[in-house]
Amino acid sequence: MKRRLIWGLIALLVAGLALAQAPGEKQPSVIMAPVGNVQLHPGGSAKVELDFRIDPDFHINSNKPRADYLIPTVLKLNSPEPVLLVDVKYPAGEDMSFAFSPNEKLSVYSGDFSINTVLKAPATAAAGTYPVNGELRFQACDRSACYPPRSIPVQFQVTVVRK
Amino acid sequence: MLKRNAIVFVMLVVVIMGMLAAGNYLDRSRKHGPIKLVGDVHNVPAPDFELSTIDGRRVKLSDFRGQAVLLNFWATWCPPCKIEMPWFVDLQKQYGKDGLVVLGVAMDDTESAKIAEFTHEMGVNYPVLVGTDQVSDDYGDVGSLPTTFYIDRNGTIVAKAVGLLGRQEIEADVKRALSTPYKPAVEQPSREAAKVKPSQAKEAAR
Repeated sequence: MKRRLIWGLIALLVAGLALAQAPGEKQPSVIMAPVGNVQLHPGGSAKVELDFRIDPDFHINSNKPRADYLIPTVLKLNSPEPVLLVDVKYPAGEDMSFAFSPNEKLSVYSGDFSINTVLKAPATAAAGTYPVNGELRFQACDRSACYPPRSIPVQFQVTVVRK
Repeated sequence: MLKRNAIVFVMLVVVIMGMLAAGNYLDRSRKHGPIKLVGDVHNVPAPDFELSTIDGRRVKLSDFRGQAVLLNFWATWCPPCKIEMPWFVDLQKQYGKDGLVVLGVAMDDTESAKIAEFTHEMGVNYPVLVGTDQVSDDYGDVGSLPTTFYIDRNGTIVAKAVGLLGRQEIEADVKRALSTPYKPAVEQPSREAAKVKPSQAKEAAR
């Protein structure tokens, strides 16, 4: 009983220390919410909102960062025939300054953000389900360090339905 | 019964102290704002490397034996790295005569000409090397930038900093690196032997 208790306490201590990871060791993450069923009629178009969430400790550059040397967030989508990607609208970045550069404002996304796309199907499009694949490329920083650019997959399906 | 309670009490105190120490460690980094020092790596030999400079010269770390080296991993897309650069320029000017060499290792995935353009704009007065995955691995997988190693005259790492530090802290680490006398007889390990492993670094930090 005593031994079990001691091991339990030691495990607690180890867990506590593990939580106290050294700054800079946590890697940034951006995740994408699943996209619901997207339906298109031949000759019609559909708006598709892609929702992303950035880990609370990090921010990423917006699609239009304020300096040439910064890496913008970019969505690349490969729309399969016959579906066409006709528009991608990025949200405006939030102008923020950080402790590492209080006099410089950076245009960033943090928390949740959405990218709006518009897909179209030509009038001749055959009915069926078409996979849309792509990636979101971003470069993240926290309060004092930055992390190499990364990409996450973006995948959803579009169903062309004849009227 | 009383004895068991005493043991439980002592263990609880140990756990709480551990938690407090951990909390204090995190809080300290928050109070310092952007500061993120990731432990000391005392007495770990700096892995040797040979890299190209942005103007095409080949440079080995061991070429600088006898001098203290500030080895700064950075990238053009890294705003905190940009903040440090003018400080490194000043430190190179101030301590160059004492044997300090600042070496920048650019971890950009871009051509040297663009890096050169950036460093020219920043007025960089020290060699900038083109980083590779190999050198990143050798230095413990440099995953966040800036990461800076302070290496003494004998090729031993005396400090490592991840993230932006204040200028005073950087200067203090430079002084530490400069303070060790050069011992030419010290034999340096091969790259394999000198690879900085996370476990080794943690061990050294204790």
